Amino acid sequence: MKLNGEQYHDRVTAWLTGFAIFWSLLGMASGVYVAAELVWPTIDFGHEWLSYGRLRNLHTNTVIFGFGISALMATAFYSVQRTCHVPLFAPRLAWFCALGWQAGMLGGGISLLAGWNGGKEYAELEWPFDIAIAVIWISFAIVFFGTIAKRRIQPIYVSNWFYGALIIVVAMLHIVNSLAIPVTWSKSYSLFAGTQDAVVQWWYGHNAVGFLLTGGFLGMLYYFLPKHADRPIWSYRLSIIAFWAFTYSYIWAGPHHLHYNAVPEWVQSLGMVMSLVLLAPSWATLVNGVMTVAGAWEKLRTDPALKFIVLSLAFYGLATFEGPMMAIKSVNVVSHFTDWTIGHVHSGALGWNALITFGTFYFLLPRLVGAELYSTRLANWHFWLALAGVMLYVLAMWGAGVSQGLLWLSLDEIGELSYSFKDIMASMKPYYALRMVAGFTFFAGAVLMAFNLWMTAKGRRIVCIAPPPPVREGA
Amino acid sequence: MIWFLFLGDMLVMAFMAALAVWALWGSSDKAVDQAAGIPLNDERRDG
Ligand code: HEM
Repeated sequence: MKLNGEQYHDRVTAWLTGFAIFWSLLGMASGVYVAAELVWPTIDFGHEWLSYGRLRNLHTNTVIFGFGISALMATAFYSVQRTCHVPLFAPRLAWFCALGWQAGMLGGGISLLAGWNGGKEYAELEWPFDIAIAVIWISFAIVFFGTIAKRRIQPIYVSNWFYGALIIVVAMLHIVNSLAIPVTWSKSYSLFAGTQDAVVQWWYGHNAVGFLLTGGFLGMLYYFLPKHADRPIWSYRLSIIAFWAFTYSYIWAGPHHLHYNAVPEWVQSLGMVMSLVLLAPSWATLVNGVMTVAGAWEKLRTDPALKFIVLSLAFYGLATFEGPMMAIKSVNVVSHFTDWTIGHVHSGALGWNALITFGTFYFLLPRLVGAELYSTRLANWHFWLALAGVMLYVLAMWGAGVSQGLLWLSLDEIGELSYSFKDIMASMKPYYALRMVAGFTFFAGAVLMAFNLWMTAKGRRIVCIAPPPPVREGA
Repeated sequence: MIWFLFLGDMLVMAFMAALAVWALWGSSDKAVDQAAGIPLNDERRDG
């Protein structure tokens, strides 16, 4: 029996999950390739399309926007209907949004390889893609907020606050940061110049990390962790307070990317202070997450998906501690412009974003098709490969980064640099080789996941799931 | 531009913080528990 014939629209989630897995494999493969280019620089074989400068952008765009956003759209569509007890608002628009995003990513990826590049970090795509992204993003907003508007229960569950902030803030950042004057189809010039451009870029860049790679994925955590642990979040009030404190302090942390640059001193200091303040809401969520799992430890022995989610929490804690530390100006003197930053990025990207998404997919896909996971053993293998990969990656980059920072700062007795840039870079080879192996290990685990989930879903249909019956007032 | 971004951000955030206080105002323990339990009872699989 169905409720008013209504059922949740889950096909779009299933497809988005598949697309996200595709982009994760492509993104990580290109990551491993650029890592290998840093060990053997000649493996671009003289082709521009294989050059480091182009492939690196392909890597960052496919992992963040292809993998990350597809996964966030999939889980936002899945959870918003359930937490509102209604099917998606405007399901056709949801399909437009899901497929349009993939088309944009494909075209965008090819354009990056062809050398089109707007020159802004994490916003390299040229203006035709920027406009397409804005249109798709607005349709995402309509579907998401439309579903919330027609909800059948009064409270707006906390995961929706995070997904909602992701949608609103990213729209604002993308539109302002992309303001440019087009000169040809493949070239435009930013409306901002010099220091202002730097400030706008890092206002965009850091808040993209904040509201997309942190906030968006916290939305995923707050829905899927309780679901998975089969118990409510430990302190709901703390989650709401953490949300607002997080939103309030993140938005002004961006200038920590511009320490010792030509931006006013007070802007840099404010960026540092706001970054330190961020520790509180970040760790409030960590505590909330750990305490939620605390009652379900026994599940960790048997449930690989929960293992991924718990490990992702540990890396979330690590990355959100390390970030504020690196924002302190005296630490930044050593860490800035070194591989320490790359280590920090990947402890978050692999340890937090990728692991929580993998855990969520292991939970989600079998439920969508109404089947058991094809192989728990393979999922366990994936877990250990992922853990080994991320640990080795981060250790290699910490080693490389701290040595670079210290060697660059070292002066001889007459006050000249003790080591040349070239010498320092030449000594990095072992670290870069280790990072390549680490990346390959992590990638191999993701291939196992893709196979496992494919075998789970193969030949099956999406099961029909209906919203629960309406609760009578006062019942 | 810096001041514009700063003041703009702070205004938006002040609005959001006010909204949060308003939203949490008077929420009883029962209402909070109910909200926390949303993901645990959000689907019917007999459809
Ligand atoms: C197999 C796994 C991966 C490998 C081997 C890898 C490798 C790399 C390499 C070699 C770079 C360039 C570093 C440089 O220019 O010095 C890079 C940058 C980056 N990667 Fe990855 N990556 C992987 C996975 C990921 C994932 C899953 C994400 C995000 C979810 C990610 C996000 C980034 C970002 C944001 C940057 C730019 C960092 C910056 O400019 O500071 N990576 N990666």
